[in-house]
Amino acid sequence: MSRFEYHEPGSVADAVDLAARFGEEASFLAGGTDLIVQIERGRAAPRHVIGLVRVPGLDGIEANGHLTLGARVTHRAIERTPALAGTLRGLVEGAEVIGGHQVRNVATVGGNLVNASPAADLVPCLVALDADVTLVGPDGERELPVERFLLGPNRTARRPEELLTRVRMPALPARTATAFLKAGRRRAMEISVVCVAARLTLDTSLEHCLQARVALGAVAPTTVRVPAAERALEGQAVGGAAFRRAAEAAQAACRPIDDVRASAAFRQHLVGVLVRRALDRCVERARRAP
Amino acid sequence: MSPGTRVAGHSLPRLDAPGKVTGTAVYAADFALPGMLYGKVFRSGQPHARLVRLDTARAEAVAGVRAIVTAADAADIRYGAAVRDEPVFASDVVRYVGQPVAAVAAVTPEAAEAALAAIEAMYEPRPPVLDLAAALAPGAPLVHEAWRSYTAIPILQRDGNVCNRARIVVGDVERGWVEADRIFEHRFTTAMVHQGYTEPRAAVAAWDSSGQVTVWSNTQLPFDVQATLADILGVLPSKVRIIVPGVGGGFGGKLRIGVEHFAAMLARKSGRPVKVMTTSEEELTAAYPRQGTVIELKTGVTRDGRLTARQGRIYFDTGAFAGSGPGVASVATMVLAGPYRTPNLHLEGYAVYTNKTNCGSYRAPSGPQANFAVESQMDIIADALGIDPLELRLRNIVREGDEGPTGQVLSAVGLEECLRRAADAIGWTERRPGPGRGKGLACGWWTTTGGSSGVYVKINPDGTVTLNTGAVEIGTAALTGAAQVLAEALGVDLSDITIVSGDTFSTPFDFGAQGSRTAFAVGNACRAAAAELQRKLFALAAPQLGTAEETLELRDKHVVGPAGRVSLAELARQSQATGGGMIAHGTFIAPGTPYDTKRVEGHVYPAFHSPSFHAHAVDLSVDTETGEVTIHKYVVAQDVGFALNPTYIEGQIEGGVAQGLGQTLSEEIVYRDGRVLNANLTDYKMPTTLDVPRIESILVEHPGRVGPFGAKGVGEPPNVEPPAAVANAIASAVGARVTSLPITAEKIVLGHLREVADGAR
Amino acid sequence: MPKIPIALTINGEPHEVLVEPDRTLLDVLRSDLGLTGTKTNCLDAECGVCTVLVDGLAVNSCLYLAVVATGRAITTIEGLASAGGLHPLQAAFVEHGAVQCGYCIPGMILSAKAYLDEHPHPSELQIREALAGNLCRCTGYQKIVDAVLAAARRMAATAVAS
Repeated sequence: MSRFEYHEPGSVADAVDLAARFGEEASFLAGGTDLIVQIERGRAAPRHVIGLVRVPGLDGIEANGHLTLGARVTHRAIERTPALAGTLRGLVEGAEVIGGHQVRNVATVGGNLVNASPAADLVPCLVALDADVTLVGPDGERELPVERFLLGPNRTARRPEELLTRVRMPALPARTATAFLKAGRRRAMEISVVCVAARLTLDTSLEHCLQARVALGAVAPTTVRVPAAERALEGQAVGGAAFRRAAEAAQAACRPIDDVRASAAFRQHLVGVLVRRALDRCVERARRAP
Repeated sequence: MSPGTRVAGHSLPRLDAPGKVTGTAVYAADFALPGMLYGKVFRSGQPHARLVRLDTARAEAVAGVRAIVTAADAADIRYGAAVRDEPVFASDVVRYVGQPVAAVAAVTPEAAEAALAAIEAMYEPRPPVLDLAAALAPGAPLVHEAWRSYTAIPILQRDGNVCNRARIVVGDVERGWVEADRIFEHRFTTAMVHQGYTEPRAAVAAWDSSGQVTVWSNTQLPFDVQATLADILGVLPSKVRIIVPGVGGGFGGKLRIGVEHFAAMLARKSGRPVKVMTTSEEELTAAYPRQGTVIELKTGVTRDGRLTARQGRIYFDTGAFAGSGPGVASVATMVLAGPYRTPNLHLEGYAVYTNKTNCGSYRAPSGPQANFAVESQMDIIADALGIDPLELRLRNIVREGDEGPTGQVLSAVGLEECLRRAADAIGWTERRPGPGRGKGLACGWWTTTGGSSGVYVKINPDGTVTLNTGAVEIGTAALTGAAQVLAEALGVDLSDITIVSGDTFSTPFDFGAQGSRTAFAVGNACRAAAAELQRKLFALAAPQLGTAEETLELRDKHVVGPAGRVSLAELARQSQATGGGMIAHGTFIAPGTPYDTKRVEGHVYPAFHSPSFHAHAVDLSVDTETGEVTIHKYVVAQDVGFALNPTYIEGQIEGGVAQGLGQTLSEEIVYRDGRVLNANLTDYKMPTTLDVPRIESILVEHPGRVGPFGAKGVGEPPNVEPPAAVANAIASAVGARVTSLPITAEKIVLGHLREVADGAR
Repeated sequence: MPKIPIALTINGEPHEVLVEPDRTLLDVLRSDLGLTGTKTNCLDAECGVCTVLVDGLAVNSCLYLAVVATGRAITTIEGLASAGGLHPLQAAFVEHGAVQCGYCIPGMILSAKAYLDEHPHPSELQIREALAGNLCRCTGYQKIVDAVLAAARRMAATAVAS
């Protein structure tokens, strides 16, 4: 006897209808790399699974000023979209490190966001890009910044009857670069011990920071943005003291735990190292860009 | 390097490769029978408790359930390789989280799982013994209150929570301390690690109308499992048939009975075939992993670096049942001595009970742990005395004709060549090529385990040869190697040989795929069978060729005489028609290695037979901020005696080092309060393609006297030296000496930060 | 919920199966269709032995629902060899000593095939990245990488020739 009933709606409206009908008893299925694992391990037990494979309009990538990623855009698609290779390199870096290619071929942006693992790799990249999610429910659409969407480990602001349909990021100014770094115990197939996404916009002299974003993963119940680090950078000369202060602010902002992967103390130490390195990389990239 | 032989010694493709690359090879995990049920095991949720009540009534009522077995269905016996302390199911006391308490067979795996959830067990917890310190403390609770009543190998030194103390004593270490200019004392620890085979343990059992049970299983020791299972079922061993269709890796974790007994008992009770397979979680909580250890090593040296004395104690946390602990504790003392001339030794290995999963044998059991301590300390000594680590070793290593620690005479000692060639290949003259970068060395020795092997070899009328062996191919290509020895002896090609293996009914006895012995022992058994076949072939051919038997030889698939030849195929045809067929039985057991019995106590492994010698060298960099280790080059020089098949020996080295690097840098089964925290492959971190460097293998050949063409065992040694080699390189690179495995980034960074702080003071 | 009829195309052959929606593609391949070349182990997308190709993309079949596979072209290890012989990857694995216990090999070969079909001239690093989701415990990966490099060269040469 099947643990769940399976539905395959042909439109966003039908998908939302089903979600409204079944409420907490339903889960949406995109790539399945989180949901199916959780069902198999008994950590999730939806009575209804709403497969999104036939819903049109969820897997597009639009990169014309704004960047819009449909909820069903896979990590593979992010890796392979040329338009993302430049300024948005950090986003690609966050996508290309998860799992093996088997996982990246099917795992989606939307799934990653809704699963809301504190250690998600793509999510800090989205936060650093000021991303908003779009949620469609029976009563209409609403948009939410990713930071307000994430409420806790595996908890989001999505109501059971809402479908996350896309993620949107505003256009980036000139002389902007992004970077993503993670630390783990092995070089692949790794849940981050710590990960960092950074974004810097430099002034015309390429010596000062105009705008900064710093986001951390795996050091708090959700991905965290570090406004204190950003304030330590904006208006300052890049490198040296400003980067040190930003790293320290990031260390102060994180609330890591001891677990089987690492101690809180080591995580805090790594945050300092990776923030500094991610910022260095942004400067390198911004200066190298055509 | 051309070996001067035709088949043996050449890198020929293994015989079982085509089936494996096409997906047609069947492993025990793939095996199925019509009408088969699925079995699952109900396991203890407590590390140490009295099992007050077990109620399976609700489980019996779950739809699809066909049988449930508990202690009441098993013979009232205990089994175990060294100490018979383990029951099939707990009946009164549970001793680790994961210990089997009952098993269920149902028409689907999901129904079996539902039944497990419906079993009710009530426990009265007892204070658990959580680690070595707790187990050895005075007045510690006993993991086995009735330990005295257990049957055990008589020479074991057992006492309370110690299920063996093995000891080697040579000379007088007190004298050695006096003679020493410096004395070094260090403590090392290593974590529990899992073999990590990619195929779960699996068994399918089916009873026939004559009361015989056949079990298809991926065991490495079919005859051992046959005997244990017969005991458990209360039947004669001849009523138990173990067939091994194929094994997806073993590394020692599939030696002893794993799920075969559950399958057989459920099949007997339900009247249907039953399949039982482990999950990743069961593998990481209730299998036969490598023991975690604590090692205390005290070594005395003269100022010019000569070892005068060594006192060592290695404690094995062997878990709730003795398993391989007593034997492993014995082997450990040999490794603690190292391949070094040391006139005074006092070495002890302790196997200690705790309330964790019972540990077993994992590729070179005790090797990496004890060698990590010995070889790390050698570098610490070298550093303190201002002597090059390579030079320090060369001053102390054993040479041809020297005595081993238990007095055995060592021959075919290829260690100096291994050390020099490994050092050369890594560029030892420049040990610190740059900031944060360093090179490390480690060397060691290992055994080729004995035990007997029998084969039948049949020459078929079509000219092919069938090799019928009780051995099991676990992936090393050892059986291909043995077949190469056979082909060489008979004058045929490797591709003429078909292998039939691993069936206790129809293949001769084999001691099993363990201890690096298979190519060695089966190869020699093949030589014996080939010699017998040669006698028969020559006796048949001589009259036909009109010549004396002494003038004949085997060549090009023919018996060749001075004036004519006749094919093996033809002779086989003739024999089949009138002589019952051309077949011979060959057997082999390694001769005992003489040693001084007065030097050992509680020791079940007092000599290393046909020992191998090896050296590893590694060049790596350490990111001192993140602790990440990048290996630039890894070299192994291994004395293999004679390389039966260089490609597959390289495969053993490359794979063994990769496994060793996992143990060194990232793997550990983490227990807290008697429970495993990381019982899944997400958090039990085995190396991926991006974590393993290219490895350069240097095959050194100092032929032994016993193995085929002088071959020695090759499978286990590559697991021995990686932890020490890497630890030594890291110390060389950044000054941080980590004395516990795994050497994680966290330990490196914290160690480095301490060094920097100490330096700043 | 009653079983759902699904049409699976496996190695070019059509199969009609009735499955419960919570069945994985791995389980349907092995238990319903007797295609045990695709292996089972962690069931967690951590080890890769269950890798199959779905429309040419490597996926972990242990987490892929059979109902989602309907209408897609699935390739398993059984579909690689042809009447003409072994696929160049299979032949290279044999020739280079890349096979030990063999349990990871079907998944490994399919991962490699998916990558080579898109990137005919890979570097060693790219091959290692492509195979990072396939654990092998026996070989240390070296001869596997050598085999994939050799197969890539041979496949590229054949492509040029034809």
